Amino acid sequence: MTAASWAWLVLLFPLLGSMVIAFGFRRLPARTTGIIGTAAIGLAFVAGVGSLFALLSEPSESRYVASSLWEYAGVGELRIDLGLYVDPLAVFMVLVVTGVSFLIHFYSTAYMESDEGYRRFFSYLNFFVFSMLLLVLAGNFVLLIVGWAFVGFASYALISFWYRRTTATAAGMKAFVINVVGDIGLVLAAILIFRELGVLDYRAVFEAAPEAFTTNEWTIVAICLLLLVGAFAKSAQLPFHTWLADAMEGPTPVSSLIHAATMVTAGVYLVARSWTLFELAPSAADVAAIVGVVTLLVAGTIALVVTDLKRIIAYSTMSQIGYMFLAVGIGAYSAGMFHLMTHAFFKALLFMAAGSVIAVMANNQNIDRMKGLGTAVPFTGAMLVIGSLALAGFPLTSGWFSKDEILDYALYRGDWYTWLAIAGYVGALMTALYAFRIVFRILPGRPCPEAAELIETGHVAHGEPVNPVTGAAEDYEVGYPGRDHHVAEQARGMRIGMGVLAILALVAGFLQVPGVTEVVKNFLEPTFEGSPLAELHPPVGKAWLGLFNGGVIAVVGIALAWVFWVRRPAIPEALQTRFRPLYELFLHKWYFDELIDLLIVRPVKALGQFANRVIEPFVVGGIVTGTTTLVRSAGSLVRDLQSGMIRAYAALMVLGTILLVLYLLIGAA
Amino acid sequence: MLSVLLWLPLAFGIVALLVPAGRAWIPALAGAIGTLVVAVVFWAGWGSPGEVPQYAESVPWIPELGISYSLAIDGLSLFLVLLTALAWVPAVAFAASRKAGEGRERLFYFMLMLGESATLGAFLASDLILFVLFFDLMIVPFYFLFGIWGRDRDGVGAGTATMRMIIYTLVGSLLMLVGAVALGFAAEDASGKELTFEIAELIRRGIPDSTQYWIFWLFALAFFIKMPLFPFNGWMPDAYRAAPLPALALFSAVLSKVGAYGFLRVVLPVMPDAAELFQTAILIFAVASIIYGSVIAFTKIDLRLIIGFSSIAQLGFITLGIFALDDTGASGALFQMVNHGLVVVPAILIVGLIAERTGSEDLGPMGGLAKNAPILAVIFLIVTMATLALPGSPNFIGEFLILNGTFQVSVAIAIVASSGVALAAYYALRMYQRTMHDPLPPGSDSREISLRDGLIVVPMVLVLVVLAFAPQIVLGETGEAVADVVEKVGSAG
Amino acid sequence: MSIEWYLVLAALLFAIGAGGILVRRNPVVILLCLELMLSAGALAILAFSRMTGDGDGQVFVLVVLVVAACEVVVGLGLVVAMFRRRVALDVDETTELHG
Repeated sequence: MTAASWAWLVLLFPLLGSMVIAFGFRRLPARTTGIIGTAAIGLAFVAGVGSLFALLSEPSESRYVASSLWEYAGVGELRIDLGLYVDPLAVFMVLVVTGVSFLIHFYSTAYMESDEGYRRFFSYLNFFVFSMLLLVLAGNFVLLIVGWAFVGFASYALISFWYRRTTATAAGMKAFVINVVGDIGLVLAAILIFRELGVLDYRAVFEAAPEAFTTNEWTIVAICLLLLVGAFAKSAQLPFHTWLADAMEGPTPVSSLIHAATMVTAGVYLVARSWTLFELAPSAADVAAIVGVVTLLVAGTIALVVTDLKRIIAYSTMSQIGYMFLAVGIGAYSAGMFHLMTHAFFKALLFMAAGSVIAVMANNQNIDRMKGLGTAVPFTGAMLVIGSLALAGFPLTSGWFSKDEILDYALYRGDWYTWLAIAGYVGALMTALYAFRIVFRILPGRPCPEAAELIETGHVAHGEPVNPVTGAAEDYEVGYPGRDHHVAEQARGMRIGMGVLAILALVAGFLQVPGVTEVVKNFLEPTFEGSPLAELHPPVGKAWLGLFNGGVIAVVGIALAWVFWVRRPAIPEALQTRFRPLYELFLHKWYFDELIDLLIVRPVKALGQFANRVIEPFVVGGIVTGTTTLVRSAGSLVRDLQSGMIRAYAALMVLGTILLVLYLLIGAA
Repeated sequence: MLSVLLWLPLAFGIVALLVPAGRAWIPALAGAIGTLVVAVVFWAGWGSPGEVPQYAESVPWIPELGISYSLAIDGLSLFLVLLTALAWVPAVAFAASRKAGEGRERLFYFMLMLGESATLGAFLASDLILFVLFFDLMIVPFYFLFGIWGRDRDGVGAGTATMRMIIYTLVGSLLMLVGAVALGFAAEDASGKELTFEIAELIRRGIPDSTQYWIFWLFALAFFIKMPLFPFNGWMPDAYRAAPLPALALFSAVLSKVGAYGFLRVVLPVMPDAAELFQTAILIFAVASIIYGSVIAFTKIDLRLIIGFSSIAQLGFITLGIFALDDTGASGALFQMVNHGLVVVPAILIVGLIAERTGSEDLGPMGGLAKNAPILAVIFLIVTMATLALPGSPNFIGEFLILNGTFQVSVAIAIVASSGVALAAYYALRMYQRTMHDPLPPGSDSREISLRDGLIVVPMVLVLVVLAFAPQIVLGETGEAVADVVEKVGSAG
Repeated sequence: MSIEWYLVLAALLFAIGAGGILVRRNPVVILLCLELMLSAGALAILAFSRMTGDGDGQVFVLVVLVVAACEVVVGLGLVVAMFRRRVALDVDETTELHG
């Protein structure tokens, strides 16, 4: 079988899984749907491996296949096929997506067990995986947009999964609308590409682009900036990032899969996929890198102060994606993709561990209340520590290899990119701080009541069925927060899912050790063939020096965190009061929500109100009323003649006759 | 035998007048289904896309005035005819299932079927006067349907609302009649041959530029009022709130398309110079409608009005595509007419289902229906996603082509128009969310959609799903006909 | 005799009929006056017919007479119906058909 047929199978299984569960939701037992959903993703992973081997059996210069089922839409010159494009980059993404998805599905079979919406959950989750795979396998820009929008839709459906919580539905709406803005960016980019090149298939576009555009010509810059609008919206980069923290309203496996490991990295994939265009528009690529760096700093500062466990991790996700944008923006494509992969492992792991913690805490997500969980749930605690180590970039963990490779590259490019690298190191310090802020605040110490209950009785405490944000009573019927949750310790599915990811988070880095094994880089090479930036590589010595620096920063950060939150808890409090305005700024997420509300939401609403109050009644209504009044008054004029008086009619007739006769007589004369 | 297709609904409508009132729906439904079958048979016998017209018949009607009874189906009309035939089935079935037309069922179903014949006539006519005639006839049954069986809302009587609508639209079509007659005579003068109103012949003869310029606006005004576009939508809110649901579904889904169709059928080919000259002006009307319809839909809470104003925005898009005067834009517009029709019928019928469960058509006291009615929720979700043109839905392809066409003319207009897409995402999703999600208010009865209602609503949704996978089914057939029309404009200048 | 006399007579009769319709309010009298006008018209046609010397006019007049007879039947029928329903026999009072 060719790589393309395997790729179609990759797409088929999750779609089939989603449909089978959706149509059988009344008949199938809940457990079965979980198995179907997980198995579908497992099969997709197997098919992904199949396409990997099919691709590897080809010589490296012909490692790509395009395949099309039928003509999707064609008008005049415009031709869009329902087609795939399989190359190392696509296969890489397929493997990451299906692999992580499989583990998270596995975890979810246990995590969601007491949720009323169990079947719905797996149907949605499979649909999400299908959409994500469509996104990475699409063979042209239009199909990419379809996959792009489908993941947005799946993300909406899963954020609003507990759909009777108003906070969840509002968050879903926000995510969806921001993502639609991104979609529009992509649509306009695709239209512009079509106008300039007359094609939309990847390969044709990438082959035609270098001839059609000169470097930094305004059209190609515009195309790339529009692509970036889509990428930033999907990947929660400034200024389109506000939805991601709210998206944490979804069930934790969703946060883990969609809002950490896979979907939010789609923007990075897009830039890597369109590297040909971005290298023709270096200014746009620089924009990507700069926005990435700004986001990683801003998100890092927010992660340092918020107290909601899942939101801290969400902001750390934004920040890590910032690194990836930095990478693909400056041309370190394989390093960016490598970080995408390791991040998927350790971030999914962190969210899973957080899910376990939240279950223990009876759905309370505030880290202020958490204490002594290390003794209550030692396995979860260990997972949390491993995840945090990898996130902080502790030496030899996967995050260390991948993050520092990006920063090395930035340093190596020199020029003003050095500043980006320095900012990246500052961000790395913050990463280590907030990662271990979580660890040190919730694991050690005297157990909080919920943890104590678990230690004493062996059962999870039951939560108060009240939405912490709005104070509204929760609706158990749609699952939230579920009558009871499982502790990772006690549910085998969750243990296995987390365990495998923990191993990956620790060892995946060895895939790409500078100068020793460069598996990821070598594998992706055919995709980035011909890119001068991808050829660029820091020499091994410099790379190891960078890794050393990164390791030192991580260790210093962890040590600082230990000082702040274990040794001298007074210090962070003192800092808070000392730098009150800054603290407020971070706590309010740099007031981005308020800004967007002020600049976009309010004006549109005001415009709507104005249209409603003024234009609609006076202008639009005026035209109608004017017209109808005119017609009616003309009508009533004639109507008055219809008096019903026979003699009046007769008189008019006679008068008319006389006038007629007179006219004839005068005419004859 | 296009006449069979055209008059079949009316024949069944007359039968409906003769049977007992309680059974009047049977012949009506049979007529609607029969018409659909006949329309599908025409489609099945469709040759290669290039041949135009595929089916035609022509008989002199009033030879002294050059008026003939000529009908035709070609790439422009095929899918609109199919849409009409398809839309009438669920509408009649829904009316029957809700015992609509209370008190005067026979008249109700007769009017409904007369409406179908008239609408089909407008799509089939290839004689200008015949087109105008059906365009006017179309509104007559809806006058009775809205006026007699409508409801009074917020102090606006159904009669008043309907009267406003009828006067307004008739003023428009009166102007169009003047324009049509003037076109015939202008063509006669220009060519020196005898008077005729055959559209194809009018195109061949050509109209002097200066004449085109003023006649163009007579037609444009009539179509704008019909669709409606901003600022001619004044009749719409009250009429939408008054109308009985099945009639409203048809009015919004099909009748509004006749205006846009008229641009493609008459205005562009017969008056190409005027179309080119006034292109920018019309594009501005269109884009204003997109923004205006969207921002108002953004603020409304009445479900009918949300759908109504979103239709204004959608018709803005359609007009935009047509007046991009580009084959992708116009193809997208034609495709979007079909899609919008397919979306609106289920949307409005679902509004009816929701109102039966919550006792209201306002978003305020609704919510949480999805729990007990998951299937209804999924159907509504698909419709919502298609309304907001989620990529992957056929509506997305329509919008993509329209924006692509517009982009070739004016980047600025395309960008402003695309902001309408973002607004649509908000108001459409809000409509779904406030009904199906969010807490369940007390007193609402969130039961599942019944099998009968499912059979009424689902087929159209299925058609949408099929088109989502293969929009080419439509685009492949319409492409050449649309390109023909657009080329005329390009070559005339 | 020259044709003028016939025409003058016809015109006079017509004027009398028209005047009667305008000034009288009794429907029976109005009907009478209507007949008078019809006859005036018929007379004029006959006169012209004789002048040109063909028979077409005569045929025409016969038709007019028949129509006049029908009209009287309907008119008187209406009058009787009004009388039966005790409606005042006054055309100024019966104006229900006003717009």
